[in-house]
Amino acid sequence: MPNRDVAKEGAAGKAAPVEVREAAGSSAAESPATGPIDGMQPGNGWSLLASELSVLFRRRRTWAMLLALAAVPVLMAVAVRASSSVPPGRGPAFLDRITQNGLFVGVTALLVCVPLFLPLTVGVVAGDTIAGEAGLGTLRYLLVAPAGRVRLLLVKYAGAAVFCIVGPLVVALAGAGIGSALFPVGPVTLLSGDVIAPGEALVRLVLVAAYLTVSLLGLSAVGMFLSTLTDVPVGAMAATIVASVVSQVLGELPQLEWLHPWLFTHYWFGFADLLRQPVAWDSFGSNALLQAGYIAVFGALAYGRFVTKDILS
Amino acid sequence: MTRKWLRWMPAVAVPAVIAAAALAGSLPASAGDPLPAKTPAEVLAMVAQHSAPSLSGTLEQTSQIGLPELPKTGPSSGGGAASALELLSGPHTARVFLDGTSNMRIQVLDRLAERNAVKSGDQVWLYSSRDNTAAHLTLPAGAGHARDFSDCRHPAAGADGVMPTPEALAARLLAVADPTTEVSVGPEINIAGRAAYNLMVTPRTEGTLIGSAAIAVDGQSGLPLSVELKARGQEEPAFKLAFTSLSLEAPDASLFAFTPPPGATVKEIEVPAHGTGSWPGHGTEKGVVPDSRDPNGGLPRPEVTGTGWETVVEFPAGPASAEAGAMASGDPLIQQAAVAVPGGRLFSTAVVNVLFTDDGRVFAGSVPAERLLTAAAAR
Repeated sequence: MPNRDVAKEGAAGKAAPVEVREAAGSSAAESPATGPIDGMQPGNGWSLLASELSVLFRRRRTWAMLLALAAVPVLMAVAVRASSSVPPGRGPAFLDRITQNGLFVGVTALLVCVPLFLPLTVGVVAGDTIAGEAGLGTLRYLLVAPAGRVRLLLVKYAGAAVFCIVGPLVVALAGAGIGSALFPVGPVTLLSGDVIAPGEALVRLVLVAAYLTVSLLGLSAVGMFLSTLTDVPVGAMAATIVASVVSQVLGELPQLEWLHPWLFTHYWFGFADLLRQPVAWDSFGSNALLQAGYIAVFGALAYGRFVTKDILS
Repeated sequence: MTRKWLRWMPAVAVPAVIAAAALAGSLPASAGDPLPAKTPAEVLAMVAQHSAPSLSGTLEQTSQIGLPELPKTGPSSGGGAASALELLSGPHTARVFLDGTSNMRIQVLDRLAERNAVKSGDQVWLYSSRDNTAAHLTLPAGAGHARDFSDCRHPAAGADGVMPTPEALAARLLAVADPTTEVSVGPEINIAGRAAYNLMVTPRTEGTLIGSAAIAVDGQSGLPLSVELKARGQEEPAFKLAFTSLSLEAPDASLFAFTPPPGATVKEIEVPAHGTGSWPGHGTEKGVVPDSRDPNGGLPRPEVTGTGWETVVEFPAGPASAEAGAMASGDPLIQQAAVAVPGGRLFSTAVVNVLFTDDGRVFAGSVPAERLLTAAAAR
């Protein structure tokens, strides 16, 4: 079973990570599975996190996803540059502003990525957290200490959270970069009609990326829980992405209005509130609270499932 | 086995805690000191005495007046009537900044867009981010500040993206309070974290669509904090406009200094010297906002039948009402909302009925549709 999955994943990308894992886990490997809870030295957690991050960001898959995300603003900017002017009110919001100001490429690209691309990549990363290790047969090596399960769960979630930071940031910065290369950069018009300097606009762009990071944390928790349910990583990834799509579809149905404030996708488009003058922080706060609730609920579910699970692979 | 169950405890406890917190949050917060009891007249006086203060706050509007909900995304249909209806139907959020009587800014927060109305002295700017257009007008010097204010907040101004504030609606409701109406002070309520008197207005007649109206008046400043309109037999308010957050401090002065952004299409609007607040191109709204009692030169003088809550306003056949009728039959949105009845088309909502007869007359009132039909047939 592990052999099959290794073969499927591609041995070239996989061989090194497995070695890194075993090296990192070896310090905790001394205590047997039934031994005392002594694997909680802070150093272990941090080294495990470092190893998790290096595995995550040395994967070709991760790089491919980040490149695909970065391609969105590039394609958009090139297409707008190559075509004639966009009439206002057509296409995604802000698209007509790109020609006036390159920094809008970042915002427009984030807007386009929010419904599908970002949840897709986060779903792949979050769905892979536990199920990926189980599928590869490396999970039991990581879980030699009893307390290791909680720590592994936390480390895995932290890894997914780091990807949530990197993903939107890549889109925003790639957008700002290609935009300033192809279009003039100048004062930026906010939704309120007020104009701010390019430096402040860059701050707002990073704030928008941070908003989307927070928005995706709840989905990561859902993905990690789904990942503890199965040994087939593809299943958990697909289920996570389906969850985000289903949540967005439910959010569009006016008949379910009572449910909307409870959907984790409810505030996803609220990042526009950061582009108002003065900044409307309400949606940022509500979004953070909602995502914290999802993290708590699905984190607790993942804990319940993972610490009671029989790890056979 | 018990250990296994213990491990699942957090997964049970966390949703329970969240549910408890949500329940506790929905309960009315117990106010520290109850407000001193006041009669309706005293509360009204409080409202009348309060002068336009400095404030910044967020307004939330919900309405279930039976209009089809319009898509929030997608290109705006552009028409003034459609935009006015869009403001009346469905939920909206707006931020209001007031600095004395001369400076005001209202931002209607749409999804990924915003509509702004900025008033600084006699300069008024309207800006819509969706199509990046701005409009500028200079208020006539003769118009007093108070007048400017009421014009800007007039529901007819909603066509240009300004939501009416609770104050304007409160003044409207109190103006019609007369012997036909029971006015009382309900139990104290809490709006935007402030204790408020709840002024209840109930029609004494059965012949109107309006069940009751309630105005929350801030116990300290006398500022109306929310307006609620209930249709007869409706549990949920047909229309509700309330502050969700409010600060009585003066907003930043830079908010009122508006210059159109580069690249925006700027339109200059000429204001007629008498300054009725009816801006060119929006005269047709009069048919849609039937209770607007603007002295308007474009319309023949409307005839009023019935009294109090059962008033029916009739606009005789004329160019303006013909235009409104044509709009009613032409605009797909209104076409969807208006139904064919014997002798015309009826535009029906939970609180107002408008009848466009085939011969060009327009009847409007907060009365059942049958009364409009009888009124139309009687002439």
